[in-house]
Amino acid sequence: MELFLNILGAIATVILAFVVGMTYGGIVRKITARVQNRKGPPWYQNFIDAYKLYSKSTAIHHGWMQQMGPAFLMVSSVVTLMFVPVLNNGGWFENLTFKGDLIFLLYLMVFGSLGMALGAGQTGNPNSAIGVTRGLSQMVGYEIPWVMALVALMIQYKTTSITGLMEVQQESGTWLMFSSPFAFIAAVLAMLGMFRYSPFDIVGAPTELASGPVSENGGKYLFTMMSSGSIFAFVKLTLYVDIFMGGASNLVVLVVKTFTLYMIPVLYGIVSPRYRTEQSIRFFWGWPLFFGLLAIVYAVIF
Amino acid sequence: MNTIILIFIIFLAGAILTFLAGNIKGLLKEVLFLASIIVPVVMFFAGVKAGDSFDFHMAGFAFQWEITPLSYLFALIVTGLGVMAAIYAAVSAMQGTKSLGLFYFNFILSIMSMLGILFSRDLVSFFIFWEIMTWSSYLMVVYQGKDVQKVGIKYFIFSAVGAYSMLMAIVMVYSLTGSMMIDKMVQEAYPGFAFNMQVIIPILFLIGFGVKSAMMPLHVWAPGAYSHSPMAFTSVFSGALSKMGIYGMVIVMASMVAYVPEEHWFRIVIAWLGGITAVGGTLWAIAQDDAKKLLAYSSVAQLGYIIVGVGIGTPLAMLAALFMAVMHALFKGTLFMAVGAIEKQTGTSNFTEVTGLIRKMPWTFLASLMGIIALAGIPPLGGFIGKWMLYESLIGSDHYLLVIVIFFSSTAAFLYSYKFLFGFFLGQEEKEWEHVKEAPALMVVPMIILAAGTFLLGTFPGLIMKPISAGLEQLGYGATQGKYWEMSMLFNEWGDQVVLQPILYAIIAVFVFFLVFLLLKNRKNTRYVSTKDISSSGEVPKEHENLTFIQNFFQPFLRAVEPLMKRQIDWYYNGFGKGMEALFDFTRRFYTGNGQTYALYAIIFVVILLLLKTSLFGI
Repeated sequence: MELFLNILGAIATVILAFVVGMTYGGIVRKITARVQNRKGPPWYQNFIDAYKLYSKSTAIHHGWMQQMGPAFLMVSSVVTLMFVPVLNNGGWFENLTFKGDLIFLLYLMVFGSLGMALGAGQTGNPNSAIGVTRGLSQMVGYEIPWVMALVALMIQYKTTSITGLMEVQQESGTWLMFSSPFAFIAAVLAMLGMFRYSPFDIVGAPTELASGPVSENGGKYLFTMMSSGSIFAFVKLTLYVDIFMGGASNLVVLVVKTFTLYMIPVLYGIVSPRYRTEQSIRFFWGWPLFFGLLAIVYAVIF
Repeated sequence: MNTIILIFIIFLAGAILTFLAGNIKGLLKEVLFLASIIVPVVMFFAGVKAGDSFDFHMAGFAFQWEITPLSYLFALIVTGLGVMAAIYAAVSAMQGTKSLGLFYFNFILSIMSMLGILFSRDLVSFFIFWEIMTWSSYLMVVYQGKDVQKVGIKYFIFSAVGAYSMLMAIVMVYSLTGSMMIDKMVQEAYPGFAFNMQVIIPILFLIGFGVKSAMMPLHVWAPGAYSHSPMAFTSVFSGALSKMGIYGMVIVMASMVAYVPEEHWFRIVIAWLGGITAVGGTLWAIAQDDAKKLLAYSSVAQLGYIIVGVGIGTPLAMLAALFMAVMHALFKGTLFMAVGAIEKQTGTSNFTEVTGLIRKMPWTFLASLMGIIALAGIPPLGGFIGKWMLYESLIGSDHYLLVIVIFFSSTAAFLYSYKFLFGFFLGQEEKEWEHVKEAPALMVVPMIILAAGTFLLGTFPGLIMKPISAGLEQLGYGATQGKYWEMSMLFNEWGDQVVLQPILYAIIAVFVFFLVFLLLKNRKNTRYVSTKDISSSGEVPKEHENLTFIQNFFQPFLRAVEPLMKRQIDWYYNGFGKGMEALFDFTRRFYTGNGQTYALYAIIFVVILLLLKTSLFGI
């Protein structure tokens, strides 16, 4: 019975993440359009697109690795979601939050991209391989400041678990973004790369690489990729809110906090042109790295 | 008769018999070879347990062989990987090569010498077995005979440097204590040594072990030697033989260095050397276009992680290092075997030449995929456990910058991981490779078994943690079970945990659900189209066009890290070598080969003697 309730809770979490992530995606499209002085699609456009993709059937495939790619991607998004606390008090969304820590999460998060990279590789489309190499290179770039920020928090509060960091914030009453400001700055700069909006949209690269994995996958595959992306965006935002902004006691607070945070990469992206790959890597090894170091020094001293 | 000595007799007799049978046609030599590996290993598992020993006297020295818990752990690596590699090598992998007898002979001898190193409790037999190991592996490096001159000499020179510094340490120990027993030296005599001896002896030992475990700056032999040996042996070379260096290092760090007053300084130097090794190995692996070279550099990097763990030396770091040693044997064994299989089936191991093998060699792909996932440290496979423990131990023991360095290296490892899988198996399928078939079953099965090992240990690390923990207790660490690990749980110093079973089940459940969701109707309705049937920028590529992107695969990344790769220690060694060559060349000029010149030298010598006789001899 307990197992059944747990599974039910997990499904509820996935549905929540899906709905919130998709809505955010739609709103971002609207905002981008307004900034560019277009009318833009309605906020629920993403749901229409998802439904359309889901109902389409697929005619061709390039082999079994390609078919497994989106499933790998989904594993990463959904299982990561299981380990990130959605609300402070757990409740329906507790899932597996006490079974893993931050370092585990860091590694779990790359699982999907590697699987998808393999799936994209089997299509034989040269653009997908180019996208993958860019993505992996950029990942090495932003992971360093991101890890530095996390390490700074870990040594400052002597815990590596997300729930541990949330408890610290509840006990002291201050958010970690104020008590460890440099770590927060480094993490937010790393977040720009994590969300892959401009100027770090070198992976999908709308103008050159558009014919990569997206054009080789259709129907349900594209639907899976799309919903996985939405869920993953929600997971990452929730993780940031949990770590730096004191978590959320109910869903409304969660939505407000995540949306505010989400606007940082989105708004920065709308007004920026795109970097080249090595420029992007060097960007992350500049100021973000400096703030990461500062965060560690700050954590060691205090 | 004692089982230990019987094992060595069978190894030795088997090696000689197999060598003699080398030229006989038929399967006699293969049968002999497999028997002389598998029989002693079975005897080892059936008849030997930790604590067994064997003593004898010879040439005035007391020899003592004993199986300690730590050596039992490393013996598990050697025997397990040895048997798999032997099955892989016999019959299939080495088919059609010349002088097979020599290969089998060296193979058996190197397995024997590794077990010998692990069992020796006195320094004389330790050194003898160490030299047998170096010699047999050297003969393997030069075995294939293709431009091996430089590679072989490099390996040999570095091994010799290591061996001599070890020999020097042994002689010093003997002159100070009058005994060759390792336990006696470490536990009784060592704390009483003068301070300079306490520092010099471990440094000399560490040079010896550092060479074998390819530690910066003694690693330059490794990429060449690993990539030039036959792949069937390289899996043992990189997986087990390099671990002998780690074994020695563990003993030195845990016993001797613990007594040195400036212990902290010593440990930090070793740990940072490990960290630099990891970063350098990873970056150079990314730049390689040849799979063997890529894996060789990656081995250097992986051993760097292990050295970091050994260098830090906290219980959790030691657990991490030893677990990674086991794991590295499993996944690097798998990967080198996979490269061997591909090389045998296609004739090349270069990414730029062969692409799109996934549908032709699916089992090799599966084994490589699991090996790569373990290498990259992605859960739920075993590589993750070692990485996790290493990070936690570094964070918990205040090595903040080192943890960033290690993290950089292991994130960059994703790059070459993907290059390996993409280069061989993915990309566009070529007409040229249409004839390629899956490797023979005897080559595929060992790979799959080793890969399955990484999977099993990823969820139940307790299986191997038990012998590791026993080994650490022998070295004076307290009990670690329940504190840092359970059968399928991990803890760090602050009590944070990772519970592995729910992770595995969650991953499998979600994966299967979405696979079914994707394939339920699609599998029947879709048809396979070749990789030429794609849309690339609105155009469909022609039949003869190969659009696989593999040249300069990570060029933007390499451009970004260019400053880090400018200096290579190899250049300094080569410069030194060139200088020495010039010196020797100058000396050679005296030997003109002309009798008259030599007569002149003799006369000049006599004249000098006569002139200086009063000052020299006082006559």
